[in-house]
Amino acid sequence: MTTLTLTTSPILTRPVPGALANIAAVAGRELRDALRSRWFILYTLAFTALGLGVSYVSAASSGGAGLSNFGRTTAGLINLVLLVVPLMALSAGASSVASDRERGMLAYLLAQPVSRLEVLLGKYVGLAGALLACLTLGLGLCTAILAWKGQDTGVAAVLTLAGLAFTLALGMLSVGMLVSVLARRASVAVGTVIFIWLVFVFVSDLALMAGTIALRLPIDQLFLLSLLNPLQVFKMWSLHAGDASLDVLGPAGLYAMEEYGPRLHLIFAACLSAWIVLPLTLAAAVFARRSPL
Amino acid sequence: MNTRTAISVMLVLAVVGLAPAQPHEAPTAIQRAPETVRSTGVIGRLIERAAPGDTIIVPPGVYREHLRLDKPLTLEGGGKAVIDGDGHGDIVEISAPDVTFRGFIVRNTGDNLDKENAAIRALAPRATIEHNTLTDILFGIDLREAPDSVIRGNVIGGKPLDPARRGDGLRLWRSDRALVEGNTLHDGRDAILWYSKGVVARGNTSRRCRYGLHLMFSDDVLIEGNTLEGNSVGVYLMYSTGVEVRGNRLLANRGPSGYGVGLKETDRFTLRDNYIAGNRVGIYLDGSPFTQAQPGRVTLNTLAFNDVGMTFLPSAKGNLVTENNFIDNLNQVFVAGRGNLDANRFWEGDRGNFWTDYSGYDQDRDGIGDFVHDSTTLFDGLLDREPKLRLFLFSPAQQAVEFVGRALPTMRPEPKFVDEVPLMRPVAVTLPPAPRTASRVMLIAGAGVLVGVFLSVLAAARLPACVFEIGGRS
Repeated sequence: MTTLTLTTSPILTRPVPGALANIAAVAGRELRDALRSRWFILYTLAFTALGLGVSYVSAASSGGAGLSNFGRTTAGLINLVLLVVPLMALSAGASSVASDRERGMLAYLLAQPVSRLEVLLGKYVGLAGALLACLTLGLGLCTAILAWKGQDTGVAAVLTLAGLAFTLALGMLSVGMLVSVLARRASVAVGTVIFIWLVFVFVSDLALMAGTIALRLPIDQLFLLSLLNPLQVFKMWSLHAGDASLDVLGPAGLYAMEEYGPRLHLIFAACLSAWIVLPLTLAAAVFARRSPL
Repeated sequence: MNTRTAISVMLVLAVVGLAPAQPHEAPTAIQRAPETVRSTGVIGRLIERAAPGDTIIVPPGVYREHLRLDKPLTLEGGGKAVIDGDGHGDIVEISAPDVTFRGFIVRNTGDNLDKENAAIRALAPRATIEHNTLTDILFGIDLREAPDSVIRGNVIGGKPLDPARRGDGLRLWRSDRALVEGNTLHDGRDAILWYSKGVVARGNTSRRCRYGLHLMFSDDVLIEGNTLEGNSVGVYLMYSTGVEVRGNRLLANRGPSGYGVGLKETDRFTLRDNYIAGNRVGIYLDGSPFTQAQPGRVTLNTLAFNDVGMTFLPSAKGNLVTENNFIDNLNQVFVAGRGNLDANRFWEGDRGNFWTDYSGYDQDRDGIGDFVHDSTTLFDGLLDREPKLRLFLFSPAQQAVEFVGRALPTMRPEPKFVDEVPLMRPVAVTLPPAPRTASRVMLIAGAGVLVGVFLSVLAAARLPACVFEIGGRS
């Protein structure tokens, strides 16, 4: 039966039908464009170079005597991901819809037999693929450096870090696309996400630090407030996944372990998932209603 | 119960010395031993018959009995004789001097902490306890007023209990000049010395215990070449004088206090050639020295990747800290309280310490930095005020704070310690490196997986457009 279907129906030469095909088609175009674009090549180069630097320096600082580094390399990479990945994902998302709209590409796309949701999801998947490529290249080469320098870092730690960094990237991409859908011009969108990046990376943490000192925030509130920042969630999740412990983060980390125990993973996952799903849903709602031009 | 069937003892007996050949003992059923330690079983009867100075070689088998060695004998277990305490009481009690107890597997003591149920308890001088394996025991080897004893090559593992309900794997009480060598302790509470002078603890390993080695009022002790890893605290010295700690590996001791070496009111101590890494605090000084005239010396150690390299409480004054490598500790030196630059000295002559965070340079190339090292970062200053802020460790915001501290002199906290002659190159480490735990092959495989994902994304981008086509319908 199966073979009969295969021979009689040209299913393999025909396109995959339906919404999935549309999404895949948009995604494929977006991915091809992204991989060729200047921002992608620039960010990939920067991320890879900085990652190699962090790995090399941390391997060198162990004195070459094979002193085991107890995850300090991972800590350096976490720091790097915190700086670069949100910026990369936010600006990728920001320029996606807005720049297509400016170039008139969006009108052309929507003239095709695709729904707006399919266009948005397709763009999201394509950009996610590009971010995945960037992260895996950078972290892959870092891992190779660590292996070459004889660094005592577990492979599980690196793979976990890559996975979590990708999750963070998905969340930031989602926020970037929301901004892109809302903004009238690409330049406004990019400016806005750079501001958002500053808030996530510096402003919110510094404000929380100041608040902790000035208002004597109790420890539970400090921890819950820090969960609002997806970057902090990523950081805590990575540390927790690597060490099975947050004790390196002092009293607040110990409080979190004591209070939530094994549920911490679920909490972190829920926080990051919310950052992926909510802005994207919002973006889809806005995109469906607004005029694409 | 099944105890009777479990025992099939082929008894081959060799009594060395003047004792006549023992009659062949049938594998008699061994009674359940009573609560008190009494020689009731097969080995017990042999001990009763043996003369002082005899050697009893116990053949392989499981012996459910509790022994008292009350004359100077040598008991050889050959590594295959198992003495099972049946889950109650102590198991072996040595009450005569000059007893050697070697090559047994001792298991299954009671778990009564009040009665301190122990696998082997020595109550007399010059006991030699060698090459035994102790499993499922509350206390392991307990020396009570047993000076000049030798505890060597034993493997001591505790009961799977909550740490608070465990006993000490090794305890010395008023047992001067004992030698504790090449033992492995795991999953117990402490290895502790009470009032025992001149003890040498060498080449022991301790994992997943509470205190790897704990000294209480024990003077002139040498702690050398031990590996203490993953305990709550590595070495904890309290109220002891003249202790030398050298050539040890103190790794990842991260309990609630989590010190590599903790010192409380300890005088004239020397920490030398140790490798102290991955602990919560590398070296913790509290009230040491207790007597100002007898300060301690910390030299040629490598303190790496600890949360805090060295902590000085305000009461720790007058110590000399030179020629150590401070490598990438999150916080290299933490001085509690307001601090006093002269409290402890970080250099002697032209030899300071090596600091990975030293920011000066060495223009005249004499191996000594041209500027003093007094690094205290603004973030550390904040942590001092508000420890909760450790939550922001590793985040870019932390680096922003530190940048502000460096850039704006008004924001710089006062330095709390100073090294006038920081070394530009690390001091040569004499300790051979710890064995690697991560596999290089696995790392390469991991790199391969990641690059493979990268390549497959690239390949997906090159898929012919005809496979996916907008509005594709059959």
